[in-house]
Amino acid sequence: MGRWTGVGLGGVAVVTPWLVAAVAPGQQRYIVHVLIFTILFAALALSYDLVVGHVGSLSLAHPAFFGVGAYTAGILSTRAGWPFVADLLAAVILAGTVAALVGVPLFRLVEHSFAVGTLGFALVAWIIATNWVEVTRGPLCITGIPKPTLGLPGGPTLTISTLPAYYWLALGALAAVMALYRGLTTFRLGRAFHAVRDNEPLAAAAGIDPLKYRMLAFTVAGALAGGVGALYAHYLSVICPEEMTVALTVNLLVIVFLGGVGSLRGVLVGAALFTALPEILRLAPTWRLVIYGGLLLVIVIRSPGGIEALLPRPAGARSGR
Amino acid sequence: MPLLEVRGLVKRFLGVTALDGVDFSIEPGELVSLIGPNGSGKTTLFNCVTGYLAPDGGRVLFRTRDVTRAAPHRMARLGLSRTFQQVSVFGRLTALENLLVFLQQHQEERLVARLLRTPRLRRLEGQAVERARMLLDLVGLSARAAAPAASLSYGQRKLLAFAAALMPDPELLLLDEPAAAVNPTMINQMKDHILALHRQGKTVLLVEHNMDVVMDISRRIVVLDHGQKIAEGPPEVIRRDPRVIEAYFGR
Repeated sequence: MGRWTGVGLGGVAVVTPWLVAAVAPGQQRYIVHVLIFTILFAALALSYDLVVGHVGSLSLAHPAFFGVGAYTAGILSTRAGWPFVADLLAAVILAGTVAALVGVPLFRLVEHSFAVGTLGFALVAWIIATNWVEVTRGPLCITGIPKPTLGLPGGPTLTISTLPAYYWLALGALAAVMALYRGLTTFRLGRAFHAVRDNEPLAAAAGIDPLKYRMLAFTVAGALAGGVGALYAHYLSVICPEEMTVALTVNLLVIVFLGGVGSLRGVLVGAALFTALPEILRLAPTWRLVIYGGLLLVIVIRSPGGIEALLPRPAGARSGR
Repeated sequence: MPLLEVRGLVKRFLGVTALDGVDFSIEPGELVSLIGPNGSGKTTLFNCVTGYLAPDGGRVLFRTRDVTRAAPHRMARLGLSRTFQQVSVFGRLTALENLLVFLQQHQEERLVARLLRTPRLRRLEGQAVERARMLLDLVGLSARAAAPAASLSYGQRKLLAFAAALMPDPELLLLDEPAAAVNPTMINQMKDHILALHRQGKTVLLVEHNMDVVMDISRRIVVLDHGQKIAEGPPEVIRRDPRVIEAYFGR
């Protein structure tokens, strides 16, 4: 995507709440709500794609890191009274630390056994969230998570209480994730990631430590997922164990693989389409899931490379990647 | 002082002894060939030296430094470049990027510097691109610089892998059958490339099956059979060595 196209799209994204208010005043709350979900899923899917798309390790552990972040933020803000920025930071650091710790044994596994190992870890995390009632309140959920407040102690503060305000907060977070994603997946770092993905023994012959780069991608992805989890918990004001089941993994797999694995644009389009689509299909409640499933099938058959493969290739795309 | 020294190297696979106490060394600037019938342990020796296999006994010394069991990426950074018998490229990277990968790890920078693309790193990158273009030109792949490596022909990928191994200007170049499964024109091309490297003073260890190539370009040949070194010397001596003839042609 060219610089000016990017700036243009970013500008449109910033003014979208006003556009929505002008075009569909009665529907504004609902539409902005769906947009916030889309943005959070886009950020989560981008973090997931760092591992799946760029170092080529099929991790199924992402809901665990999302959950660690969401519960960290929820518990610290409700029980310890931590301010938003502090609990968000704690969520990012803790989720990243958990990823780094479980990454050490998990990356002793390769390919399919790695996928199964990460799936096992995700299940364990979900079982802990459900059963460690003293800390997570189990199926009763952590409730009453306060609205985010930005600002320094003693200085002026800004409480994110309206939907558009939350939309802009989420958009800012997505922009940060996008910047980090681009920094990691292009130039020398990106080249080293892709070398590990394409041919691990040869990458080692080039002087790349494959494990180091896999761990880097996995840890950053886990930390970012934790951050998105914290934003999600603050947005909904409640976090339950069901938020971190395999269903989330399936959603992410659909977004990343049908959007365009390893591509910023593909993942963004995938997130927009596959978060908004089920909502749009609510117009046909009976056939909703049938249509959704049918569409997924059509995409897989018609374009195995995802939607990204159908989009026009921008000039100079290769050098930018 | 030898550049590479292998002492009493032993490697066993489930009771099969693939390397049975192999000794040999390479002086700086030498062009040495390692030959032997199929299954004699050539590639196993290669893999033990470059860290892809952990030997069960013996030592590997690189510039008198003990590097036995060092990981492959550590060996690469010490200045030892290798190619693989099977053509090996990064399929989804372009031909140019395939070469760039091989140099950048020798210019290790802090993670943050890579993320922020410091001016110093941009300058190094510019120089790397220049060198990569020069090497692509050398192997005649300039026109395919922007093509994904997976789209190149077998022979082109072989040349690309060879150019990639040269990218960091290695102290020691280990080539695993560079002339295997390519057409006669390309075999001659490879021969010329290897001789040119030798003239520039590079140290090369060549594993090769093609006897014409080996006899033509090597100054010294090491012969393996059943995991043991059975002969060592200049081509004209090896050609007449009864043990070598027996190993290749039987009694």
